[in-house]
Amino acid sequence: MIFYKKIFTVFVLVCLLDYSGTVFSETTDSVPIVTKTTESSSEPKAKTIAELAARYDSAPCMDCHMNVYDEWEKSLHARSIFGPEKVGRTAATFKTFIENGLKEWPYSGVKTPEDVQIKHLMLCAKCHLPQLQEAEESVAKELVETIYAYVDDPDDEEAKEALESLNIGCMVCHNRNAITHKWTDGTPEKGVVYGSKDDVHMDDKHPFLKKSPIMKESIQCGQCHGLGPNFELENPTQCATLYGIHLYTYIPDGGQETCQECHMRKSGLGHNIQSYRAQEMVKMALDVHVEAKAYQWRDVTTTTPEAHVIVELTNKAGHAIPDG
Amino acid sequence: MTAKTKDGKEFYSEEKIFMPIPQQMGRGDKMGRGPYEKSGLIRDTSIPPLRTLKEEFTIPVYTEGEKDGKILRNIIANDFIVDVEVWYLPYGKKDDPGNAQKWFATSKTLRIEKGGK
Repeated sequence: MIFYKKIFTVFVLVCLLDYSGTVFSETTDSVPIVTKTTESSSEPKAKTIAELAARYDSAPCMDCHMNVYDEWEKSLHARSIFGPEKVGRTAATFKTFIENGLKEWPYSGVKTPEDVQIKHLMLCAKCHLPQLQEAEESVAKELVETIYAYVDDPDDEEAKEALESLNIGCMVCHNRNAITHKWTDGTPEKGVVYGSKDDVHMDDKHPFLKKSPIMKESIQCGQCHGLGPNFELENPTQCATLYGIHLYTYIPDGGQETCQECHMRKSGLGHNIQSYRAQEMVKMALDVHVEAKAYQWRDVTTTTPEAHVIVELTNKAGHAIPDG
Repeated sequence: MTAKTKDGKEFYSEEKIFMPIPQQMGRGDKMGRGPYEKSGLIRDTSIPPLRTLKEEFTIPVYTEGEKDGKILRNIIANDFIVDVEVWYLPYGKKDDPGNAQKWFATSKTLRIEKGGK
């Protein structure tokens, strides 16, 4: 009897599989759960860094979107694993995380760098390389080896190049992370570039444009520039607190700008999304006013020469300065 | 902030740090060593959005001595320069390559009058 029930369930699921690969399954209250075939889930997991990098390579977008690509290439999004150009600080922090964190924590299961798995790296990769979830453990091993190779020898160009091939590229924001509310809006679909409108897209691999409900909203950025401790992780960490401050301090004080409004549009930087390292952003975010005066005051017969300096720092940004 | 004489001799230096101080693993009184240890806040001196922080500094422009049982405060320099700088220091030291960013700098020339009683 159980066997027949299983066959029936499979039959129903097959019947409900529509042409676009959408699977409908029924819940007890008859509200369908829709799970679309996504860009990532339809492909086997990447086995190497090169495979993963190729899957999310932004270079093909450059043919038509040269300006956007040039902007993006200057941003930290373009080197989210390596870190700031020539410095490689993010890669160095990955190593510190393994040495001072994973290896020291008694229940992490990591005694040597060879023990590091995808689930360990996701503490950082949740934001620095979310697509790592679409890779096999072999990529975790290769990534750790490459990070150690570069950090131990910054002249290792091969390692540097491999680390720089992994990034928050076009299809991370414009497909993978373009939808936050999947029960409401569905799961990002294969072949679709999510942006500001529905249309065709002149690219064989991505022939459709779809309007993302959140592409211009702060929540799009808040997925990574987040709320504080990520409690969904086995060992929570709070690399980013920006969206939390934006929601709970900036908005209550009457702030109305979105992340994109300041960091992309008003800054004029477009996809070269910058923050503390860009003078454009600093000028927009911080006013500093200094007043100074020298004088002599006296206590009976003792005269005291002093100076009084007042420094006023005004934060015009939609978040604390600095955050973290 | 520093104060120096016209010939460059520094006689005052003070700094204020503005930052959230993350709590190590969300417990206790220690700051976390890296992002992987941050899970709370011990204290937060960062500049909140849409707010102005006012910092005041009093710079003593004297050296102290004594004469005939009286305290004497001798002016270091009648003319001196106060430099105010705001830096972004994401980690480590200011001179680590590619690290610190100077956001703001200004100099104020100040004068303490000579003579008088």
